[in-house]
Amino acid sequence: MIWLIRRFGGLVGMVAVVAFFAINLPQTFLTLQNWLNISQQVSMLAVVAATMTVVMVMGDFDLSVGSMASLSGVVVATLFLQGWPIPAAVAAALAVGLIGGLFNGIVVSIVGILPFVATLATLTIFSGLAFLISDGRTIFGRDIPAAFGDFARGGPPIGAVEDRIIVLPNLVIVAAVVVLLIWVVLEQTSYGRRLYAIGGNSEAARLAGVAVRPLRLTAFAFTGVGSALAGLMYASRVASANPTQGDGLMLTAIAAVFLGMTLTRDGQPRVLATLAGVLVLGVLDNGLTQMRVDSYVREVLVGSIILAAVGLSALGRRGIAWR
Amino acid sequence: MTLRTALAGVVSAIGLGAPALAQDVAVITPYLAQPGTQFYVDGFTARAEELGWDVNVIDTAGDVAAVISRIEDVVTQGVDAIVINVDPAQVGAGLQTAADAGIPVVGMDAGSDPLVAANVTSNGYAMAAETAVYVANRIDGEGGVVMFTFDPFPPVQVRGVIADAVFANFPDIEVIDRITPDVSDGGIADSRAQMEAILSANPEPGSIAAVWAAWDQPALGALQAIEAAGRDGEGIVITGIDANPEARAAIASGGNFEASIAQDFDGIGRTAADTVARLLGGEELVQRVIYVPTELVTSANAE
Repeated sequence: MIWLIRRFGGLVGMVAVVAFFAINLPQTFLTLQNWLNISQQVSMLAVVAATMTVVMVMGDFDLSVGSMASLSGVVVATLFLQGWPIPAAVAAALAVGLIGGLFNGIVVSIVGILPFVATLATLTIFSGLAFLISDGRTIFGRDIPAAFGDFARGGPPIGAVEDRIIVLPNLVIVAAVVVLLIWVVLEQTSYGRRLYAIGGNSEAARLAGVAVRPLRLTAFAFTGVGSALAGLMYASRVASANPTQGDGLMLTAIAAVFLGMTLTRDGQPRVLATLAGVLVLGVLDNGLTQMRVDSYVREVLVGSIILAAVGLSALGRRGIAWR
Repeated sequence: MTLRTALAGVVSAIGLGAPALAQDVAVITPYLAQPGTQFYVDGFTARAEELGWDVNVIDTAGDVAAVISRIEDVVTQGVDAIVINVDPAQVGAGLQTAADAGIPVVGMDAGSDPLVAANVTSNGYAMAAETAVYVANRIDGEGGVVMFTFDPFPPVQVRGVIADAVFANFPDIEVIDRITPDVSDGGIADSRAQMEAILSANPEPGSIAAVWAAWDQPALGALQAIEAAGRDGEGIVITGIDANPEARAAIASGGNFEASIAQDFDGIGRTAADTVARLLGGEELVQRVIYVPTELVTSANAE
């Protein structure tokens, strides 16, 4: 019995959340359009959280993902201002993400600063750069090519309801590709298995011949590129860029990974579990908004639910520790 | 964001809320923490309460993409109308969703867009005309005027255009300089520095008759420069626009800063509610931008 709760408690909780909204919003919640909305709304978070999983597998964090997302949006918009074509500007912004990620990797693995401190510092650096490049302004309107903003609005048609064509949003496709890629890397390659070994016991992994430093260094490249990509998706969705717009992604992404960890057998971060965590957060925002719950009450509820889920999972694992 | 709406939220969250029969209106903004926005929203909810509507105020705490998400959600929920306080160009994807569902969107000082049925705001042209004419009349249509403008930001650019026209219509007014201050630090410090340079370049008492600023911060900067240079006794007339608390205090103290313009934020909120009511009544709005009157603030009414 305890074993069942321990193993499937998180899953039951997630199903309960969906069931709750399905019952309270019978007309609208379980519709295809609503789920496409939710999947599009969480697409940026899914990309950041999936790549965050890569570093959290090793027991590390990357706090700089939100400001990197802001920075990459500002970079792409600034390059648009200077007349760069879309592919070149997008490539440059992703390159900024790669460089930033590798820089995080170097300070964490080669220099040996705790990830919390190192990425807190780079968070500030990236954020400062975003303000510096944009002059603190929001770049929008005619400065952003129409095709760039249209990307987030479009997608391949998958059907029609009452004369309205339903499309599979491009942002959802991008997020799905990223999640699949991270799943292959973490679950199907020796690279990924070694990252899990580092997370299990870094010293043992090193003694067993795992090249801990290069692995940790490169793992941060995933969060760098992933957050830069999420920043581009965000900029496309709002057809604009300002130096703080991606900042909120960081804490939510970490929360999503923790929520996902309540689903896995050994409490380790798994990318598909992370995806489930992302979806739960998206479903909560979507459902509570439709139920007209005050936005501040919504935040309190979402935070409480995260706490309850992770707390129950921890209790299930260890029992209550009084001493 | 009253306790009442918060409680209503909790009640409906636990499934006790009765289905709403009244008109359902969602107000969505990323900027609720900003003072101006709070006044809009308070004015809107007060009027909506009189009309017996159910209003859901959604604040995304600065997240513009979340505004799109929440527009999608309230469209799915099936609200009767949506009110936004964010640049429509940034939330086009959400506006398209609302348009596809036939739900009208009204802007509360949001900017114009084909997908916004009407935008309720203050008339920037009229505000600039009022302060520019105040300056021209105070100096009897004669003397040197320093202008502070900011053409990169469209709502402020229109103010500059009108002031140019007013001053050009007085043959004896000479625009000494038309300055675009650096606003990255708020605009006061750089405006002060620029004004100090102009004061040095025009040392003759009376050579500068007035300073016209397109918003309050440069006016405050110019005031500081004039006082620091000890030239506050020359009768240089300063005007701003927006009537922020600092400007009001300066105007009330009876110094060189003589006038500014106050936008009626509460009135914008109330008029936005009335505009929603017209749309829900089936009226086709011909006038897509609706202006709410502003008020000239002088020492007579600055307190």
